[in-house]
Amino acid sequence: MARILIIDDDPDIVEAMRVVLESKDYKVVSAKSGAEGLKKIKLEKPDLVILDVMMETMDKGFEVAREIRNDKNYKHIPILMLTAIKDKIGMDFKKEAGDETWLPVDDYVEKPLKPQELLEKVEKLLKAK
Amino acid sequence: MKYEGLLERINWLIRLRWIAVTGVILTVFVVQKIVRLSLPFFPLYLISILIGLYNLLFFLYVRHIRKKQLPDIETRTNVIANLQIALDLFALTSLIHFSGGIENPFIFYFIFHMIIASILLSRRASFLQATFAACFFILMVGLEYFNILDHYCLKGFVVNDLYMNKVYIFGTSFAFITTLYLAAYMASSISIRLKDREKSLKEANLLLEEKDRIKSEYVLRVTHDIKEHISAIQSCIEPVAEGMLGELNSGQKDLIRRAGERTSKLIFFIKALLDITRIKLSKDIEMKEFSLVKTAESAIILVDPKAKAKGISISRHINIGIGLIKGAQVYVEETIANLLANSVKYTPRGGKVEITIEDKDNLVLIQISDNGIGIPKNELPNIFNEFYRATNAKELERDGTGLGLSMAKQVVERHHGRIWVDSEEGKGSIFSIMLPKKQSLL
Repeated sequence: MARILIIDDDPDIVEAMRVVLESKDYKVVSAKSGAEGLKKIKLEKPDLVILDVMMETMDKGFEVAREIRNDKNYKHIPILMLTAIKDKIGMDFKKEAGDETWLPVDDYVEKPLKPQELLEKVEKLLKAK
Repeated sequence: MKYEGLLERINWLIRLRWIAVTGVILTVFVVQKIVRLSLPFFPLYLISILIGLYNLLFFLYVRHIRKKQLPDIETRTNVIANLQIALDLFALTSLIHFSGGIENPFIFYFIFHMIIASILLSRRASFLQATFAACFFILMVGLEYFNILDHYCLKGFVVNDLYMNKVYIFGTSFAFITTLYLAAYMASSISIRLKDREKSLKEANLLLEEKDRIKSEYVLRVTHDIKEHISAIQSCIEPVAEGMLGELNSGQKDLIRRAGERTSKLIFFIKALLDITRIKLSKDIEMKEFSLVKTAESAIILVDPKAKAKGISISRHINIGIGLIKGAQVYVEETIANLLANSVKYTPRGGKVEITIEDKDNLVLIQISDNGIGIPKNELPNIFNEFYRATNAKELERDGTGLGLSMAKQVVERHHGRIWVDSEEGKGSIFSIMLPKKQSLL
């Protein structure tokens, strides 16, 4: 079964997501920070990354996403962004590479989590891969 | 900006001068044709025309400097304010010289100029203008007395040649000059007091705005903190409610459902509060060109499921010829969706909701109407206030943030538009929004 890495500094959200994903038998690993997340990518070689936008800093998530995309070994891994309530207004997820505000993610889900929505998006991204 | 107020008053003076010129010409005409005094009418008409001409020049010049916004606009404004009054004093002196000099009772019209000077200028400058007026007057009386200038007697109006009567000249001059200074003093006292008052009101207003901003920042910070927690709570409830950790018995299911509903409501409220606080705190919102027609369509799509569930059809009368307009698309869409959702919410089953979009040259008019419960007349002035909910709305629907309409108002005002409502309790409501198509035209 596909391996999913959740990078989020909120342990409660991670646990909730773990329950949802494990109900469909996905293998779930998690990281509490951007740095830990980047390490785990190398270690665990996940099939998909779920990434919180706001961790240590406002847009740590974007930084991590860019780093994944700039590494030729991992850039193929689909990224599902997790955004806080009302934070997606005005964000353009499809900007070109190189742009300061480039958000190299494949899709996003807004908190609070809706289990069915999360499962659908995860499934879609894994299939597209 | 200080000079803005002065420019405003200069424009007022220019308008006043048009009336004055008309008055002078009419008076001269009446004196010529009806009272039939013999006076040199040619120079009197000529001076009136000259006043009209320099008024026109001032009018054009003020418009010019307003448009150009030159860096030295403040100095220029001050100069024309002073120049205008000095010119007026000279023009009035000339008019009076050709119509009887010191014998002309209209000499007291100088008082008006003193009042105007005191309103427009500083106290020192208005005393300077009073001195100008006194000098012009003394010069005219003196030159006429020593026969250096011709005297045009108001025959038929005054008995003798008063302009040669020393006692009369001194008496009148004394009364006249003291009147000038007293008028300047009194008018500038009033004017200074008013300006001080205006200043302190402005300061108080700034202070209030600052306090309001601090309050908004506080609200934003608190809401941010709450939102993280509530988001985690809801995220944990949902998988349990959906039985992902095993089937729940009916009692468990019921309580979890209740908890989930309450957090959903809280999240909805937090979203609204975040929206309105953010827009209030943001200095600029990004404006781009977008299609109003498409935006309205997506707003309708958002609300349509709820409308259908209540058997309400949303009818549209949208002028599809309206091209792109400039604004913050996300906010405009949210506003239209909000108003539509309100209409659906407060209209009984099977009612009618209608959206109309019309082209009004540089503006667009968006109207959302329904035949719902309407708004009580005495509550109409309050409905755009934050957290306000009409009594009949609360009776019908316990839940509601009371923020939707104040958010709509914020959005519309940030677009330099206007929002208003026409409503009758029990019959329905029409919400109207007027937006400029291009923000730059303002």
